[in-house]
Formats: sequence, C-alpha cells, structure tokens
Amino acid sequence: MKLYETAVKKPVGTSLIFIGLVLIGLIFYFQLPVDLLPDIEMNVVSVMTFYPGAGAEDVETNVTRPLEDLLNTTENLKHIISRSKDGLSLILLEFEYGTNTDNAMNDVRDKLEMSSQFLPEGITDPMLLKFSADMMPVMTLSATADVSTEAMYKILDDQIVNPLNRIPGVGTVSISGAPQREIQVNVTPQKLEAYRISLEQIAQVIAAENVNVPAGNFDIGTQTYMLRLEGEMAESRDFNSLIVGNHQGKPIYLRDVATVIDTVKTRILENYTNGRRSASLVVQKQTGANSVAIAEAVKEQLPGLQKNLPPDIQIEVVTDTSDHIQTSINSLMQAILLALIVVGAVVLFFLGRWRATIIILTTIPISLIGSFIYLYVTGNTINIISLSSLSIAIGMVVDDAIVVLENITTHLERGSRPRQAAIYGTEEVSLSIIASTLTIVAVFLPMTLTTGLAGILFEQLGWMVTIIILLSLLIAMTLTPMMSSYMLRATKDMNVNKFDLWYRRTILPMLDNLDHGYAKLVNWAARKRWQTTGIIAAIFVGGVIICVLTLKTEFIPSADNNQIGMTIEMPTGTRVEIARAQGLKIQKMLREKYPEIEIISFSVGQADEDNLFASMRDNATHLMSYTLRLTKAAERKRSIFEIADEIRRDLSQMPELYRYEVQPGGGMASAMGGSYVDVDIFGHNLATTDRIAADLQAKLSEIKGLRDVTITRKDYRTEYQVNFDREKLALNGLTMSTAAGAIRNRINGLVMSQYREEGDEYDIRVRFDEKYRQSLEDIENILIYNPMGVGVRVRDLGTVIESSSLPQIDRRDRQRIVTVRANIYRRALNEVVEDIQKAINTTQIPPEISVDISGSLEQQQESFGDLTILLIVAVLLVYIVMASQFESLTYPFVIILSVPFAFIGSLLLLTITGIPLSIMAFIGLVMLVGIVVKNGIVLIDYINLNRERGMSIIKAIVDGGRSRLRPVLMTALTTIFGMVPLAIGTGQGSEIWRPLGVSIVGGMTFSTVVTLVLVPALYSIFGSYGVVRKRKKHREKLIDQTNGNNNGKSASNATI
Amino acid sequence: MKAVMIISDQAHYDEIVGNLSRLNIRGFTSWREVLGRGSKTGEPHYGTHAWPSINSAIFTVVEDNRVAPLLKFLKNLDAEAENLGLRAFVWNIEDMI
Repeated sequence: MKLYETAVKKPVGTSLIFIGLVLIGLIFYFQLPVDLLPDIEMNVVSVMTFYPGAGAEDVETNVTRPLEDLLNTTENLKHIISRSKDGLSLILLEFEYGTNTDNAMNDVRDKLEMSSQFLPEGITDPMLLKFSADMMPVMTLSATADVSTEAMYKILDDQIVNPLNRIPGVGTVSISGAPQREIQVNVTPQKLEAYRISLEQIAQVIAAENVNVPAGNFDIGTQTYMLRLEGEMAESRDFNSLIVGNHQGKPIYLRDVATVIDTVKTRILENYTNGRRSASLVVQKQTGANSVAIAEAVKEQLPGLQKNLPPDIQIEVVTDTSDHIQTSINSLMQAILLALIVVGAVVLFFLGRWRATIIILTTIPISLIGSFIYLYVTGNTINIISLSSLSIAIGMVVDDAIVVLENITTHLERGSRPRQAAIYGTEEVSLSIIASTLTIVAVFLPMTLTTGLAGILFEQLGWMVTIIILLSLLIAMTLTPMMSSYMLRATKDMNVNKFDLWYRRTILPMLDNLDHGYAKLVNWAARKRWQTTGIIAAIFVGGVIICVLTLKTEFIPSADNNQIGMTIEMPTGTRVEIARAQGLKIQKMLREKYPEIEIISFSVGQADEDNLFASMRDNATHLMSYTLRLTKAAERKRSIFEIADEIRRDLSQMPELYRYEVQPGGGMASAMGGSYVDVDIFGHNLATTDRIAADLQAKLSEIKGLRDVTITRKDYRTEYQVNFDREKLALNGLTMSTAAGAIRNRINGLVMSQYREEGDEYDIRVRFDEKYRQSLEDIENILIYNPMGVGVRVRDLGTVIESSSLPQIDRRDRQRIVTVRANIYRRALNEVVEDIQKAINTTQIPPEISVDISGSLEQQQESFGDLTILLIVAVLLVYIVMASQFESLTYPFVIILSVPFAFIGSLLLLTITGIPLSIMAFIGLVMLVGIVVKNGIVLIDYINLNRERGMSIIKAIVDGGRSRLRPVLMTALTTIFGMVPLAIGTGQGSEIWRPLGVSIVGGMTFSTVVTLVLVPALYSIFGSYGVVRKRKKHREKLIDQTNGNNNGKSASNATI
Repeated sequence: MKAVMIISDQAHYDEIVGNLSRLNIRGFTSWREVLGRGSKTGEPHYGTHAWPSINSAIFTVVEDNRVAPLLKFLKNLDAEAENLGLRAFVWNIEDMI
C-alpha cells in the first residue's frame, strides 16, 4: 500500500505519529540551550613565548621569526599574525574556517617541540592556547565601593565569586580592577648602606623567618604527638620586629631600616563605574552551557548576595550578552507568529474555506516543531540562525499541502467521496510536489557544504530548512490527505454558513475578475509574444543598469546591541593619575550629555604582569578602555551608531587626547559590530612604513564615512637604559645578570615570601621606598654588593642614558606590518574602498613595500566568492531537478529565466530601502533560485498538461494561466508575506535579518509578476517552434512519400 | 447466469465492492487498475500526466434475478457523480464448472 493510502486508511496511527512528533519536539525545545549564534569554532590558535628582559626587536629576531618560519608550514593556515613586545612574543595562527582546531593544535604542538633547539637560552617554553567563543564573557558585573575599596578583592572573592561559581554552567568568575592586598617592605637605602646590609639579605631573612616547619612525630608515654614549629608571622606588624642583622653587637630590627605597610598593590588596572571606583567581575561559561540560563541564574542570585555585602558595595550588571540574545530571540519569535497569522489569512483569502485553511495551517507547527528534534539530536542551540530558518520556511511549508488540497478539492467537485478523493488526489500530484520540494532542497542542501565563514553561518540554516521542507512534504503526503478525508465534505454535502455566503458575495467575484483579467493579459502576451518578450527584456536591461549604478555592498549588517566600546589614549607614558582624571572627566561629560547611557565603566592603568588575559590585550598607564551600556534599542531614538558618532565629535574637542576609537557594538568588530577597513602596509623598514602610514592616515581621515582612523603601530616610548661597562663589572667581580637583578629588585621589588592570613596568601614585596626611586640619581646611586661584600654604585659601573624604543612590533604573514584602521559609518563598503584605493594610488610607495586593503573587505570578498559558487551550484541543481521532471531541456530554461528577474527585484528593493548587499542579502538571492522557480513549474506543468489533452498552444496557455493563477499567487504570497515580518522587523537584532527578508520579498514579488507574463510568452515562442519543426518534418515526409510514389509509378511505367 | 463487467473510476471501487454482498452477490474478480476511454462522454482514464485518473474493473457472475438490482444500484451511483464515470456490461454465461 502506498504511503498516502495507508495514512488515509489508518487515521489513528497517522495522527498519533504526528502528535508524538510534536510532543517530542516540544520537550526538546524546552531543553535546548539558547544562544546568539550557532557554536562557531574559532579558528585561531595562539602561541605565547616569554623572553624575559628582551626588547621588542630582540624578541622579533630571536623568537618570533624562527617560530613563524617553523609554524608557517602548518596545514590549512590562512594567516600568521604576530606581536613582539618587550619580553613577550605572541603569535596568532589563523586557520581556514572549518578547520578542526584540535588537529591543528596537535600539529602546532609537534612543530613547537622541534623549536627548542634553536630558540635562545632563557626563554620559557612556548604556550599554546585555543581561542573559542566560550571565552567571551557571558556577563560583566561591576562592584562599586566607597570605604570598602581596599578590602574589595577579598570581599568579592568570598561573597560573590564563590557562590556564582557554584551555578551550573558557569566556567570561571574572575575579578579584575580590585586592588589586591600586599605587604610592602619599603627600605631606606641610606640606612641599609650605613648598616652594610643588602636588600636581598632583608628579603632572605624575611623568607627564612616567616616559615612553619613540621618537626616530625614523637612519643610521650602511650601517645604519639606531632611537633610543629610555627614561625610564620601572625600579624603583619610583627614583621617590624624581625632582626635583619647585627651592628656593633646590637640587633638591627627591620623597622630600623624599612617601613612595613600592609596595603594594596600600587600598579594595577583600575576600574571605574559611573564615576566610582569599582571592580569588574567577569563571568565565563563552560563549553556548551546555556548563556541565557546562566545570566538569569546570576541575576536571580545577585539580590541575595547583595544583602551580605557591606552597604557601600553596589553590584551592577555592565554587560549581559543574554539580554541581547533574549530580545533578539523574542523579536524573531514575534516575526514567526506574525508570519503564521499572515500566511493563514492568505490561505483563507484564496480558499474561502475554514476547514481547508485549518488543514493547511496544521502543516506549519508540525514541521517547525519537528525540526527542534534535529537541533537537539545534533547538539545545536536555539539561536538567531535556527530561528530565522523557521521564519524563512514558514511561507514555504504550506506549498505542498496547498497543491495536494487543491487537487483533492478538484476530485471532490467531480463527485468523489472524500476518502477516495484524498487518496487519488494525492497520488496524482505526489510526483510533482516531490519535484518542487526537491528544487528547494537543491538550494538549501548545498548551503550545508559551503566553506568559509558563510558556510559556518549558513550550515545550520541549510539543514533546518531542508529538514523542515522535507517534513512538510511528508505531512502533505500523509496528514493532509488523512485530514482532508475526514474534514472535507463532498460538494453536495456541504453546509453553507455565513462566512461562506459573505465569501461568495465579496471575495469570490473579485478573484474571478482577477482570473478573467489575467486570462486576457495572457492571451495578449501569448499572441504578441515577441512584443511581450521585448518589453520584458527592456525592463530587464533597465533594471540591470539601475542595479549596477546603485548597488552598494557591505559584509554583515551591524546590529544595535546596546553597547559601545571606546579606547582612548593619552600621549604614551602619561602617568596613571593624569589618565584617571581625564577618564573621569570624559565619563562626567558622557553622563551629562547622553541620557541614553545607563552605565559607564572604564579601566585605566597597567595590568599585573602575571595577568595572562591582560597581557594579550592592550593596557598601559596612558590607556583608558570604556564600556558603555545603553538603554534598550526600542526605548531610545538614536542608534548606537549615531551616538558613537556624536561621542567621536565630542572627543575631537579634547586636545589632550592623543587618539581615540569608538566602537559601536563594543569591540566584537568582526562579528556583529560595525564594518571596518584595514589598510595593511607591509615592509621591513620601520621609518618608511611609518611615513606611509601617517600619510595614509591623513588622507583616510578626509574620506567621507570613515571614522577613528588609527595606526596600529605603537608610538616610540621614552625609556632609560642602564649601560653597564663590562670591564668595570668584571673588575668588581660582578656579572651582567647579578647587576641587572640587583637593580630590578630595588625598583620593581623582590618577592620571596608570602604572608598568610585566614587561608589566603599575600605577597611580601621588599624594595626601595618610593621616594628613593624617583630620579635618575636614585638609580645611579644604587649600591650593588659584589661577592666580596664590597658595595659599588651603579654610576661607577656604567651610565644611565635616555633612549626611545618601539614597544611592539606587529607582523602578518611573516612580514612587518603597520595597519591603518578605520571604522565605517553610514556608507557602503564598496564606495569607501573605492576612495581608499584612490588615496593609496596617490601615495608614493617604494617598490619594496606593499599596501593591501583588508578587514571587512577581505571577509566580504571571501564570503561573496563562496556564495557565488553556492549560487552556481544551486542554479545547476535546480535545473537538473526541473529537467528530469519535465524530461525536457527547454522548459526548465524558460523557468530559470525568472531567476535573473528575481535578482533584479531584490537589488531594486534593497536600493529603495537603502540597504547594502551584505552576505545576508546574498544568501537571500541564493534562496530565491529555489523559491521563484516554483511559480514557473506550476504554470508550465499545467500548460503542458493542457497540450497533452489536445489543446492548441495559445488555448493551452490561456486556459492554464487562468486555472493556475490562484495557486501561483497563493504560494507566492504565502512566501512573500511569511518573509515580510523579517523584512520590516523593528525589534532588536532585526538589522541582521532585514536584508535577507527585503531581498526575498523584492525578488519574489518582482519575479512573480514577470513570470506570470514572461513564461506564457516564452512558452508560446518555444512551443510554436516545436510545432513548426514537427510540421516541417511532416511535410518533408509527405513530399518524400509522394516523390517515392511518383518515382515508383514512373519506374513501373518504364518497365512496362 | 449472467456476467456483469463493471468498469468505473477507481474512486467507486470500495463503494461497489462494499455493496456487492448487500445485493447478495458473493463472487467477483477485480482488476484494481485498468485504463481506457469512454465511447461518448467522460474523461479518458490513462494514468498519465495529462489524464491521471485510473479505472477499476470488477467482473462478477450472478443469478439472472440479481442483475436488475445491481444495475439499479450502479446507475444511482453513476448519477451521484457523473464526472467520475461508471459503466456496466451484462452478457450471458453459457456454461461453467
């Protein structure tokens, strides 16, 4: 028995199977994690190597370059980017999208093992680190405090971090910006010299005294006891009474030569939130955890935790990714609901029957909910890609059901009983709905095989739509006939209610008029076929010209996520106090001028050396990084892009700032923020590349639509160098390293022991008191003891000179690089790039230096390349499906001609709405290939049928056109209206999907109108050629026959 | 004994077979899918793209007095939905085993 027959004959089984499917789908839906994007494996691996004491250029030659040469042969490597700083080489290996990062990591690890032979002595082993999207903080909280500032670290660690860490799914919670406690032993050098004690000796004494030692077990009588020696200081002030040496028979106490302060570390990254000193708490999730659930749990716990805190500590949420995710998901959900209603209205409008409408609409929830099973089984998440696939599919899933139901109705009208009508009606159209579903699959399935970033973004979309559409096919072939057989009545048994009467009185005549008018139009088009084709060709050419002239392109539309990031620099080397004051001034200005900003948080200062995370980012005493959180997009008039631009204008009024960068979207430039352009200048010579970069920066600043033009190379920074004279060192029995170490201990401090209190450890740092390390003389006066115990001053061993050096050297693909980077504001990428290219052409560039444009452009070109291949594959596959269905090469060609019109319609509507062609709009074009051919298939299929039934070409076309107009309009309108909520979406995150919606609505509308006229005209041209050819053949045959007969006659005459 | 050959659109098949026993007819032979065209009216039943509908054939041999009710039933059925098409032909059975 056939599928549909079984379904009709076994209604209980059929309906229960689908109810089960929906139930399982719903259960999975509630278990699915929610996220913004599908799990994108980051394709970056970093290699970090420390080379303590080496300058940036030394690091570049000795560490970075050899490692780059070694790693360059790694498979699938796309770019190799390196940063050589003082004492640190950071190499980022960027792999092609879709590379298995774990395999790549192993590859890199193998290569690094070989490196140890040729790397210099004294470097640490290279560290490998994989970047992943999970490292992105889920939430950032800030804790502000007044009087509790100094104790904040411990309070937060105990009261907030530990409880939050216990929330399931939370990876780590880290505190930054809170001052950490430290015991400082500030030594007065003169006193040390007087007592002839070295600083190292003090540190050693502290380390030797501040210990607990277990002395073993011993027995007394019947018991065994443990013996312990407790030497650790119980309180920090006890350090004062340590005896550090003897002088003339009297003990020297530590308080005699130094002051012991129990305080906080001085050089740290400071955080300010809304003008108050704060600490930030960064919450990261475990791989695969549900960001939204974590954020909710954190927000739920905060009020409770707040109660236990001292009253002056306030916890606020600065960034919350879940907020953006939740609102984006909600606005997509609304779009889906709206689409459902609109599609229902369209179906009801055309069918005019409640029962039929309900049968068709049942397809939608079942196929959509069924797809959640796929998401769950493959470990995916609910995200904007998977949800928008639902939104895209919603208008298409009803198509198969409409065709089936339409044919069943025809059978009913002929007099069949519902059951038979359902079975045989489905059987007749089963092949054609399979074929038209395959054209959709032919477009969406290749999407899952696309490479590059586009492939990662659209893989899930491809699978989702394929699965939903196949599911809708299955439903159309089982559930729809089953429901029809029970819910539809034979025409003669039908009851007539008020709605039916109203429908027959008002809507039906309208539709009949429409059919009639269209028949006239088709009649004209089929008879004046060349004229029609000519007019349409002219429209096509006109459309192409308009599109070429107005086409704007960009990479990914930017979304308003309520966040703005800023990096502001004062001149290099500015003291942190001055930067802090400036930072507070800016924050005050922002607070007064922009009521939209809810939270202003900024950090300033140099991060701790042992802060791994911070060493990868920029931080310095002169640098301020801001995070601004704004009110929700719906609640304010200006977008983050407009506000960011306004802020730029304000910042340009402050001459004391060296440079600044304002990033709407907050730093995630490549993912969702605005577009940017990089001009990469490759060349070894630092001076020449600097000159070109400065030149280009000046020119780029004048280009319309470019903002924040910055040069990535850091400025030369002033520094002091101690140049030891090796002879003098040797004469005094010193080596370079002991001398350097001695200076470091006095300036930076020596940590040899920890002070313990309540289970926590705090560093004990011994160094010169601050007032003895503030001038060049102080450094020259440092006394270094040689092994014989004789003190020598630095000034006797060498000279202290002022010099300047580059703090960081950037390289890309094994060449030194300077990048001039600019953000794009309200201008299409292609226009900006054109202007930049002009600017580059007018710049004098020596032959050994090359200049490239990258950034968003590079990504756009790669993605557009991938998508173009996808487009070609889709067109070919769709053609193959159609050709095998029609068993003809001509008709599919006629149908595929509607695709270019669809493109023109898309591009025109994009131009009208002012949306540039981004990868989202491009993927819309690809989808159109599969969607728009459906109209043509329905039309041509029926015209062919009419001809097989013996009608003449023109009659077949007119009759076919009239009878197929409603199904074509119905399926086209459901697709168009299903997409309209995406296209006009105003909710948060809708910016991303609007281009896709607009492109499909424009393309589908335009191509439907054109198809309805062009296909009949073209059919009449090709069809009449076929007839002419047949007639010609027939005539030749007749002539041959008559000739043959004549010849035969004459031959026979001759024989007679 | 008479032989009755019923050729109808397959939509009628279940209805006819279901009613045979009601008309006291037990034996029959059927062909679920047969193709053909009526002599005067009706659409061809070819099972092709152009003419997708298909006929069924039911062959039954009945006592002479059963023929009239059967034909009456079939005539009513045909009148119900003329577009589907239903024809029955009756001829004599000369001998049987």
